[in-house]
Amino acid sequence: MRTLPRLVITFATGMAAILSLVTTSHAEPLRVPVLVPITGFLSLEGTSQKNGAELALVGTDVSFSVIDTATAPEIAINAFERAVDASDVVSVIAPMLGTQMLALVPLADEFGIPLITVSGTAKITELGSPNVYRFFPGDAVVKAAQARYAVEELDASRPAIISQTTAYGQSGRAALEANLRRIGTPPVFQESMDVSVKDMLPVLLKVRDSGADALLLQLHSGPTALVIRHAKALGLDIPIIAGSAMHQPETAALLEPAELKGVCAESGSSPVSETSEEMQAFVDAYRRSFDREPDAFALGQYDGAQMILAAIAAGAQTADAVRSHLQTARHEGLAMTYKSDGKGNMAHSAVIICYDGTGRVPQIVKRYENLTGVLLD
Amino acid sequence: MLLTQIALNALALGSAYALVAIGFVLVLNATTAVNFAHGEGVVAGGFAAVALAILLPPDIPIPGLLLLPGVLLVTALLGLAIGALAYLPIRKRPPISVFVSTIAVGIIIANGLNATFGAAPRTAPPLIGVGTIEFLGASLSRQSLAIIGITAVLMSGLAMVLQRTQLGRQFRACAQDPEMARALGIRLTRITMISFALGTAFAGAAGLLLAHQFFISPSDGGTLILKAYIAVVIGGWGSLRGAAAGAMLIAFFEVGVATFSSQPLAEGLLYIAVLLVLFFRPQGLFGEPQQVRV
Repeated sequence: MRTLPRLVITFATGMAAILSLVTTSHAEPLRVPVLVPITGFLSLEGTSQKNGAELALVGTDVSFSVIDTATAPEIAINAFERAVDASDVVSVIAPMLGTQMLALVPLADEFGIPLITVSGTAKITELGSPNVYRFFPGDAVVKAAQARYAVEELDASRPAIISQTTAYGQSGRAALEANLRRIGTPPVFQESMDVSVKDMLPVLLKVRDSGADALLLQLHSGPTALVIRHAKALGLDIPIIAGSAMHQPETAALLEPAELKGVCAESGSSPVSETSEEMQAFVDAYRRSFDREPDAFALGQYDGAQMILAAIAAGAQTADAVRSHLQTARHEGLAMTYKSDGKGNMAHSAVIICYDGTGRVPQIVKRYENLTGVLLD
Repeated sequence: MLLTQIALNALALGSAYALVAIGFVLVLNATTAVNFAHGEGVVAGGFAAVALAILLPPDIPIPGLLLLPGVLLVTALLGLAIGALAYLPIRKRPPISVFVSTIAVGIIIANGLNATFGAAPRTAPPLIGVGTIEFLGASLSRQSLAIIGITAVLMSGLAMVLQRTQLGRQFRACAQDPEMARALGIRLTRITMISFALGTAFAGAAGLLLAHQFFISPSDGGTLILKAYIAVVIGGWGSLRGAAAGAMLIAFFEVGVATFSSQPLAEGLLYIAVLLVLFFRPQGLFGEPQQVRV
């Protein structure tokens, strides 16, 4: 009779050990929530961001879900709080909308979760946060390339700037103006406008009257195409060097090839213009998956997600370990080599693309490598 | 010459806005409720043009014009659906219910277009070809002239229906006193549904007119309903003439005032003008037939 309790205890202990082993072997996968603006005025760029992340993460051991952040900071905050309500989140793909990023950074610091984004807004990496990692060249890089190309390659001496009133537009405008002043050609005219403005004639007449010899844009996709179309209709015959929005195939699709002739733009990359095998494989996979052309935002986000996967492959199993990898490692991405400058700016190179008027696929006419010097370290 | 070009651009933009605002008022007068999905009706018209354009043979000189009947039909059907889903089932509830239901339907339409066509802005075929016409030394855009011309035809047609047909008389009777109209045997539900169809068709026509020159994207509805709302506040709540005048005033600020100041300043001045109207002439420039401000 005394042996029965012993048997029960032994059996229970054995079962507990087996259950413990089973639980360990079925551990939850690491999670990387994808928070992107796929509705609202930034939905074109946000969809590219989503697609890039998805292409990298599908088929891996990492679990992810996509949450739409639309265009309001509070929606992004709500999405973040829902997304990180679990202990296995190692990183978050964060929205490219600057105002949303500015709202999310304090939360990311509170939860200790690194944010991976392609937002161009300069300020997000100037807040002193260790949790912001930008895989698209920031304004400090692309605006330097845009200003230098206008002045050094096109001999512009009287540039004009048209920008958006959004955080993206104002951040880029400030960087563009600073770069133009640095190289001795301050803008002779600049104006900002709301994204809803339809008729560009008023602002283009003022550009013409200012005597500008080059027009630099920092606008979203639709307004960029509108300015170019209306400038051609007005007969404003000066070089146009647009912001990153112009490199997007969807923006070029709004215009006739003849309207695009001579139009240039800065960008982090231009996947459809590259001819390397690796890039072609990426472009083909992207087309197959999403039935559309990839852009630099998609590629930047793809590279960013790949760096998280590389961190996990190197043994990082927590948000802290992934952050540590992002802070110190060097990552050879498809678009460029990425390395943090200490503030989370990972991308340091830019390209200038131009359209020759015969089609909608641009040529890369100039590469500006390692503009910050970080990659020399 | 410069002033001619600015005036033409303002008139063209104002014409398209006027169609949006008039469609908004048609529904408002029949229901006394604000249809917040009206902006998405404009967007739907633009995307209907984009979708129908693939049916046209290439190299047609007036592609956009040929698409107009199809766009009117598609958006009229959409209007019927909005009326049937977002208004009729809750028409006896407080007005706030209709606001919320039309906002919900608008979001569904916008997201549906986003899912179907993608988030990118799209462009529809030009109405009567591209390029400019030289007239008295000024370069006049063919597209702008076509927008003005089509708007004039649609507005004349609407005026004729409202003034000279039995249907128009029923419309006006319902707008002035729905209970009396019902007592006289007018079928209010029928008139309401026709107003949703007609109002949304006008919005759809505006979408077609805007979609080539100014592009269209699924998220544009919010901005367009705001412009219609402001136009109606300026012109007089429920006044068709007022809505058209208000729309022209908005375009005058966006193009004319912006040319001689800056776009942000012009926008600020527009809203100051709206405030002045609300302070000194709250019934709007053309009076307030509705007498029920929402």
